[in-house]
Amino acid sequence: MIKNPSLTTAIALVLLTAVVLLVAVVPLLPGYDPYTQDLAGSLLYPFEMLEGKRSILGTDKLGRDVLSRLALAGQVSIVIGLCAVTISMFFGVMLGLIAGYFRGWSESLIMGLADLQLSIPRVLLLIAVTAIIGSTVVNLTLLLGLTSWVAYGRVARAMSLTLREREFVLSAITQGASPIWNIRKHMLPNVLPQMLIVGTYELGAIITLEAALSYLGLGVQPPLPSWGLMISEGQSYLELNPWLSVLPGIALFMLIAGVQFLSQAFTSEGAEDRRVSSNLAT
Amino acid sequence: MPTEPAILSVRNLVVDVPSAKGTTRLLDGVSLDVYPNEVLGLVGESGSGKSITMLAVMGLLEAPVRLTSGEIWLRGRNIVDLPFNDMRAVRGREMSMIFQDPMTSLNPVLRIGGQIAEIIELHQPSLSSRQVKDRVIELLELVGIPDAARRARQYPNEFSGGMRQRAMIAMAIANDPALLIADEPTTALDVTIQAQVMEVLATARARTGATMILITHDLGLVAEAANRIAVMYGGRIVEESAIQTVFHRPRHPYTVGLLASLPRVTAQRDKLFSIPGQVPDMAQRPGGCVFHPRCGLGKDRPDCRTIVPPLRPVETSHLSACHYAEETPEWARREGAVVEQIIAPSAVSPVEATVTLSVDDLYKDFKVRRARGWGKDILRAVGGISFDIRQGETLGLVGESGCGKSTLGRVILGLHDATEGAVLLKGKNLVGMSARTLRPWRREMQVVFQDPYASLDPRMTIAEIIAEPLRINSAYHPERITELLGQVGLSVEAAGRRPAQFSGGQRQRVAIARALALRPELIVLDEAVSALDVSIQAQVINLLKQLQRDLGLAYLFISHDLSVVRHISDRVAVMYLGKIVETGTREQVFDAPCHPYTQALLSAIPNPDPNDARSRRRIILKGDLPNPLRPPSGCTFRTRCFKAQSICAVEEPQLLQRTEAGHLSACHFATPGVPEVPANTIDPAAQTVTA
Repeated sequence: MIKNPSLTTAIALVLLTAVVLLVAVVPLLPGYDPYTQDLAGSLLYPFEMLEGKRSILGTDKLGRDVLSRLALAGQVSIVIGLCAVTISMFFGVMLGLIAGYFRGWSESLIMGLADLQLSIPRVLLLIAVTAIIGSTVVNLTLLLGLTSWVAYGRVARAMSLTLREREFVLSAITQGASPIWNIRKHMLPNVLPQMLIVGTYELGAIITLEAALSYLGLGVQPPLPSWGLMISEGQSYLELNPWLSVLPGIALFMLIAGVQFLSQAFTSEGAEDRRVSSNLAT
Repeated sequence: MPTEPAILSVRNLVVDVPSAKGTTRLLDGVSLDVYPNEVLGLVGESGSGKSITMLAVMGLLEAPVRLTSGEIWLRGRNIVDLPFNDMRAVRGREMSMIFQDPMTSLNPVLRIGGQIAEIIELHQPSLSSRQVKDRVIELLELVGIPDAARRARQYPNEFSGGMRQRAMIAMAIANDPALLIADEPTTALDVTIQAQVMEVLATARARTGATMILITHDLGLVAEAANRIAVMYGGRIVEESAIQTVFHRPRHPYTVGLLASLPRVTAQRDKLFSIPGQVPDMAQRPGGCVFHPRCGLGKDRPDCRTIVPPLRPVETSHLSACHYAEETPEWARREGAVVEQIIAPSAVSPVEATVTLSVDDLYKDFKVRRARGWGKDILRAVGGISFDIRQGETLGLVGESGCGKSTLGRVILGLHDATEGAVLLKGKNLVGMSARTLRPWRREMQVVFQDPYASLDPRMTIAEIIAEPLRINSAYHPERITELLGQVGLSVEAAGRRPAQFSGGQRQRVAIARALALRPELIVLDEAVSALDVSIQAQVINLLKQLQRDLGLAYLFISHDLSVVRHISDRVAVMYLGKIVETGTREQVFDAPCHPYTQALLSAIPNPDPNDARSRRRIILKGDLPNPLRPPSGCTFRTRCFKAQSICAVEEPQLLQRTEAGHLSACHFATPGVPEVPANTIDPAAQTVTA
């Protein structure tokens, strides 16, 4: 998919590989144990030895192994992020294509909804809703997903407005194609690459948002860790053991930066493709 | 050849563009001379390198395209290695360029007058602002813009296309350049506006005494406007001579083929000559003579494949880059590629054949939001149109942009709802049908659009594209795909590839195959060959005629190109502002036009025959198309008509039989032949388009 990898792509790949190693490989190592508490061995520094027990990245206030918790927290963050992006992409693309293909009242309704959604600050909305319905991982994922469709919806609508007038769609209509056929066969495949680019941008935003909510205590609930939650928990020990907050911060940064760089690489790749094809057209 | 020294001498120009896959040569040793006071026509199909040559001369090549070697002498000075700032002084002062698209060449947020003033101030800083202002108005008047002082304060969007191109010409001649380069100056314009602009260009040239290079793909335009012609193909000049010589005694097989594949409005031939194959991709340029893979003369001779033919004199001041230029005339005669002005007897219109499509008093209105104030205006795009198309017949629908011909096509296809009237397909009225009941009827009527790049889904393979109509109607059969590919002259290997791998002509073949898939009765061809190069256009037209004969198809052929319409149609209808103004058989409309608009259209087409082009008196219509939101009262054409009298403003002429049987026209003064009128003046009363 990506030819001639640029520096951006290389950085993205290095960062993401590191995150994947942390999240996927650490749980396979002996000594992976994110839950067992050991108050005697709490707040250890990275590489500090205690009674022959070695903890690579130290322990938290309850003596749990930080490396294990980082790995588990990473799994939680990534799963929530990917699921929320999938949900929002599904709804966003569907609504956007419907609005762009049918125009008229359905477009007014859907785009009105999008404006309404944008006019309410998302974090405020999420805080209010999680405070009411309670915060489980499933709730959190659904909420994040359902409140992020607007970006996809708008781009999908804008693209389908022009696609709708393209001659291959018109000739499909003259061949007797139904709207569903056109949306499925012509509109969707042509908007999907752009949607994936929007998706990578959104993934970063959603993971950050999840971390923020968890930091506020409204996201992932202990004892399940999340990077945001770990930063929040480490806050009281910043002077004593700054690593507790800094390490999940670094992990979060690597994931977000990796995803953003990758998304940039996709974007410029897409632009390159379009430039080449438009050159062919002249 | 003139004895004066050349104004511009280009010597062995080589232009390359490096890419990941190696260097692509765009120009391969181009040399040409332009002499004072002449007009050199630089002709070629897309990709031949004609625009690149002139961009190189202007010093406007942009990286990664680079000038590898060669010399460009402008009035005795080599300007190739001129520093940037010295080159800036040359551009706009010693030579200037007029581009194809006046909309993108003018800055939309600056006033027209300001943009012209800028050019003058840049090169003549000593002038006072008063003098500059006067000069701007003088220039606008020179290019025929009425009320110049007021128009100078307007913005480009307040100008129509023809007016914008006039403003561009004013900018180009603002500093009395010695050399004017016009790159497809009228390609974006309608034929009647083109005639106006070419007239302005001639006036401007006469006034400034500038030498001009006219870059164009339109051989007719060259025949009318140029003294000398240089034909380019594959980054080289293949033939160069005086205009008469090239048109009547071409000495390069490519020129022969190009001239012969041109449909002509004055002549009728059964089948167009066509150059086989495709214009070569510059990245895979054939060795030896670039033209050899498509050449019928040099076909299998080893020289053509290995040795690059030099551009050499074959007779006095006639250069040809063909090893066998001496054999060319004989070969052309043998191949029947000689242009004969023969009007072949037309196929008798099959009156007894069944009517496939019948359009009855069809209207289409659009609601348009008002530019100022509340409410909506009604835009009548199609205003009461009736016609029949019989089985195996082609109806040519001609008109300039904005006349409603494409809208009409789309209403017939059911892509727009009709406002009023009936579209009867084999006797069944399609207007007012629900989408669901209409669906089974749609397969009888298919469409081929203009742009072969937009009409194929880039993400599908050719097989998927052709299979789509079959799949929609659950009639998919793999053999049918093979059969369709064969019918349109594509190989079976094409099936697995994607549209991006094909050229324009091949893509149009795919679009035709897709239209044929459901075995329709009628195909709407909406400018189906207008985007293609001449040699490819001839291939596609021949294919369409062949398919019509084999399958008994009826065609609605929508086009602005009268020559093509004449070639392909049995009957013709001419549209103006949403109405048919004249209709009849091809011979009636083209040989004895009755409506002044048809007469003006026919007279405005540049004729690719230098003798005729110069002797002919032509009608140049006044002004632009009226604002369709506020059409003129009575006859809508009266504002531009040379026959208009007071009755025309009051009473709308009906489309009636006024001369022969079957020949209908909508004019109070319909008579075949052009009356004695002083028509060929540039009209100063052109009006603003505010729509």
